[in-house]
Amino acid sequence: MRLWNKRLAGICSVLLLSVFMISADFGLPVSAAGNLPRLTDMADLLSDSEEFDLSEMLDEISERQQVDLVVVTVGSTDGKSAMVYADDFYDENGYGFGDGRDGILLLISMDERDWYISTTGYGITALTDAGLEYLSEIIVADLSEGNYAAAFTGFAKLCDDFISQARTGEPYDIGNLPREPFNAVRNLAVAFGIAFMISLAVTGIMKSQLKTVRKQTAADNYIKQGSMQLTKKNELFLYQNVDRRKREEKSRSGGSGGSRTHISSSGTRHGGKGGKF
Amino acid sequence: MSAIHEYKCPCCGGAIVFDSTIQKMKCPFCNTEFEIKALEDYYNELSNDQTDDMNWQMTSGNGRQEGELGGLNAYICQSCGGEIGCDENTAATSCPFCGNPVVLAGRLSGAWRPDFVIPFKMDKEAAKAALKKHYERKHLLPKIFKEQNHIDEVKGIYVPFWLFDAGVDVSMRYRATRVRTWSDSRYHYKETKFYAVSRGGKLGFEKVPVDGSSRMPDDLMESIEPFDFSEAVDFQAAYLAGYLADTYDVNAEKSIERANERIRESAENAFNETVNGYTTVIRESCSIRLKNSKAICVLFPVWLLSTTWNGRNYLFAMNGQTGRMVGDLPMDKAAYIRWLSGLTGIMGMVLFAVSYLFWLS
Repeated sequence: MRLWNKRLAGICSVLLLSVFMISADFGLPVSAAGNLPRLTDMADLLSDSEEFDLSEMLDEISERQQVDLVVVTVGSTDGKSAMVYADDFYDENGYGFGDGRDGILLLISMDERDWYISTTGYGITALTDAGLEYLSEIIVADLSEGNYAAAFTGFAKLCDDFISQARTGEPYDIGNLPREPFNAVRNLAVAFGIAFMISLAVTGIMKSQLKTVRKQTAADNYIKQGSMQLTKKNELFLYQNVDRRKREEKSRSGGSGGSRTHISSSGTRHGGKGGKF
Repeated sequence: MSAIHEYKCPCCGGAIVFDSTIQKMKCPFCNTEFEIKALEDYYNELSNDQTDDMNWQMTSGNGRQEGELGGLNAYICQSCGGEIGCDENTAATSCPFCGNPVVLAGRLSGAWRPDFVIPFKMDKEAAKAALKKHYERKHLLPKIFKEQNHIDEVKGIYVPFWLFDAGVDVSMRYRATRVRTWSDSRYHYKETKFYAVSRGGKLGFEKVPVDGSSRMPDDLMESIEPFDFSEAVDFQAAYLAGYLADTYDVNAEKSIERANERIRESAENAFNETVNGYTTVIRESCSIRLKNSKAICVLFPVWLLSTTWNGRNYLFAMNGQTGRMVGDLPMDKAAYIRWLSGLTGIMGMVLFAVSYLFWLS
């Protein structure tokens, strides 16, 4: 009974809330959820169930973090660059929470095999250039293998993580990137490899203790004390050569960190990063 | 000259032996102790009387002469009259019938007389105890071997060694390099200088020992080195009483090759060590001229212990002067696998846990 009561109360409150939201701020939508779904699979890369799961996930994270996570797949970008297409798609559809229109959009274009992540508002803060680099490496690996569902859920989870980190005041950036996950298999193999080598050495010593009969190789014990006379000690310099090797230029990449941004055609400031998969 | 010597107690007539703990001759029957020197003098006196008697005995027995039976010789025990059979290198043994120790003094005269002897300092019990200790803390030794351990035979034996004194002239040539590296703003530099390095000099060796008995395994004898020659005394046959002894059957000329091998190695090493301060050193040529000056024959005290296990014979040797015990032992293969896998498992888990903790921190 109680459970039923709770659910009923929950449903009622959701209904009430939506009525409030629509009536209170009609001109400036709090989120795009009402206008367009956060997942637009025009290239039809996902199955229905995958689509459903991903949509739920994107909605949940977006609502919780108050940052829109959007995934768009298209057949072609119609001659636009991936960046322009992604920015315009975001702007024109009115995604984004709050005044800053906080959000992150991932675009996949199948014809060009382009991907682009466009960040807006708090999304720019959360995904710094270094963070984008890190994030895209993981996603692109999945995309290249055709694991689209895995790439998208990975994207959602990582964004969630990045936003949470940014909320602490220290977004992931140069020198502060998320650690690689603990590679148990590799560490186990290396640990046992080293352990085996050490054990081999230890048992080798134990083995050698059993063998005590050895021929003497030298007669050091019988050198007459102080009998060594060094009568000749010459050093003749023959020649020399000098090898010269160019110093490697230290890469000047991002001492400062942060995010580079640009202004889209609609006048909104975006950050982002793209490439081929 | 008497061919056989049996040391009898001037006090009670019992057979007396050398006692390693007091470093004197001692009669096991009446416990009287004698200085070696006094006893030798006493027997010299006595042997003058006995020479005729002995000759008569020898000639009376079928006219058998020494060496007539090829390698096998027979002596008559002076105590019980039993025939002692021994091969041509035996210098001291005991009578198989009455157990009295006999020294075949005739075998140790003239060219066969050793120059020095290092008397036993460790007794039979010490040898047995040392063997027990030899088994300890050896984790791969089969447990059954330790438990079923019974020593077949313990023999105190004087082994003849040749000791060589030698001087060597050494002249060596090396190719060496020195490497220096530095950097400026644009390049790393590596400068390699090549040198011809030569060394020459002299080195002296004293009393390098070589086993002079073909019956003793050379590696076993070299393993119980070194003997401390400062404790050697002039050879007296009485020291051999109660022990076994061999005369040498590998002569000095043959033995010298082995001594030279070892001297050469040591000389090379000693001069190699004088070449330092280089990045790499490669030896190009080496000439070692040996000047062996003299060789002396010395009897070294060795305890030999043997045991049989799984149909294999295991021979151990102990330095009768320093107590150093050597002898190869069998390995328990199952134990080896156990240790290897066990250690790998434990250390692997520990390392893995450490790597995880590192990741967490």
